[in-house]
Amino acid sequence: MKIKIDMKKFAAWFDDRLALTPIFKYMTHKEVPQHEHSFWYYTGSSILLFLAIQIVTGIMLALYYRPTLEGATASIERIMTELPLGWLVRSVHSWGATFMIAFVLVHLLAIWFTKSYRKPREATWMTGMMLLVVSMMFGFTGYLLPWDDLSLAATKVGTNIPAAIPVVGKWVTQFLRGGDDVTGDTLTRFFIFHVCVMPLILFAILAIHVLLVQKEGMSIPLKDELAKKKVPSLPFWPNFVLREVVIWLVLFGVFMTIALAFAPSLGPTADLMAPAPEGVKPEWYFLFLFQTLKIFPANMGPVTGEFVAVIIIVITVVIIFFLPFIDNKPEGKKGKVFQYLGIIGVIYAIVFSIWSLL
Amino acid sequence: MRIDNAYFTRRKFLNSLLGGWLGAVAASFIAPIVKFVWPPYKEPDEVKLVFADFSDMKPGEVKNFAWGVKPGILKRAADGSFIAMVGVCTHLDCNVTWQPEKRQFFCACHDGYYDEEGKNIQGPPPKPLRRLDVAVEGEDLFVRKPGAGAKA
Repeated sequence: MKIKIDMKKFAAWFDDRLALTPIFKYMTHKEVPQHEHSFWYYTGSSILLFLAIQIVTGIMLALYYRPTLEGATASIERIMTELPLGWLVRSVHSWGATFMIAFVLVHLLAIWFTKSYRKPREATWMTGMMLLVVSMMFGFTGYLLPWDDLSLAATKVGTNIPAAIPVVGKWVTQFLRGGDDVTGDTLTRFFIFHVCVMPLILFAILAIHVLLVQKEGMSIPLKDELAKKKVPSLPFWPNFVLREVVIWLVLFGVFMTIALAFAPSLGPTADLMAPAPEGVKPEWYFLFLFQTLKIFPANMGPVTGEFVAVIIIVITVVIIFFLPFIDNKPEGKKGKVFQYLGIIGVIYAIVFSIWSLL
Repeated sequence: MRIDNAYFTRRKFLNSLLGGWLGAVAASFIAPIVKFVWPPYKEPDEVKLVFADFSDMKPGEVKNFAWGVKPGILKRAADGSFIAMVGVCTHLDCNVTWQPEKRQFFCACHDGYYDEEGKNIQGPPPKPLRRLDVAVEGEDLFVRKPGAGAKA
């Protein structure tokens, strides 16, 4: 007997149940503006590319990784030496984190300098800031998982930083560590944050973020908006997607080349009793914060230098989070001030990062 | 429906009653979760060591011991008594190293230095290394949190 499937009927049945036609219709009718800053639109989808790589390689690594004091380093050693292509999977996951954070930062700066966060896209910016913090938390929790001497020291420092905040700080540190000190429980906890809790948080915020982008459409340059100029546009499907795919392929090529050539190393297993190793460094995107903490003096009047540094960092993050409301006249003088503050911030981060490596 | 002189309608009253009840139920679920997540690990009140392991230390010599999951430092003073400290930097919690040739403690995380008494002398550490009490009782050497006293 020959079974004949009428694809048209099949599709109609699905559409009847799931009502997908409006989504396809939206995709094919969506237009992407074309202007001198259109290039930055691609940074968003590039982040998604690396997120997809992180999810796939993360699940692969989790099949063999063991989040315990005794097993963690050994399991990574096994992944790197025994499992077929294991070294490459780990390298791709490690470099994927770097690429993803790098594109998140470029994406953020592009929006800062084009002031795309202006009304009505304030909520898009704020969810974006949340995604930045979540991405950095992914990096921070992931850095501990190999459980080698460098990652232990970095985690001790990182989890102790909130303790400088009055009232709630101690509580946060205990929550992150699973007690007063970094122990095997901290490792297991970080693993669960990394593979279970934070992905849930990330997907929830990401869904809102992407939905808001669809709802408001792509922002056009400020001067075109003020001049009420009609900006030419490109259909999202297939023209824009084709360009995106080309960029993805180029990026993927560069990325794989680096991952193949520079696989991450694995230090000796962390020993809770051993002194901190020389040359403790966090991941590159925390270097400027690391250096900031280093230059503050021990005590500043009645409080510790660490407290002052942490408070300054927290206030800065809060200001950036609410930036669309503070920089609410982007075409005026105040808008220029925030443009310069952005440049100063970038220079500060670069100089301090390089300084920390000297 | 609104009764005369009432501040809200009956629907609003019943809604807040139901909402309040749901909130209370949620809180009663969250409380045990919070209790479970914030775990009980605390550092020890006292640690019992074998005195014989440390009795041959010369004045000025420094040895490590386990203060819970952290390194403890035991130093013999010039008069033969013992000084105990927690070997964890007071800046951001990294373990410190004893540098015998310079007679100082060093924290590699942010370049902090302490002298041999544990006093912070250079870099970001805001406080001296934490001191612990030491008592030799028979064949045992007890290290205790200051003021913890002996267990009966």
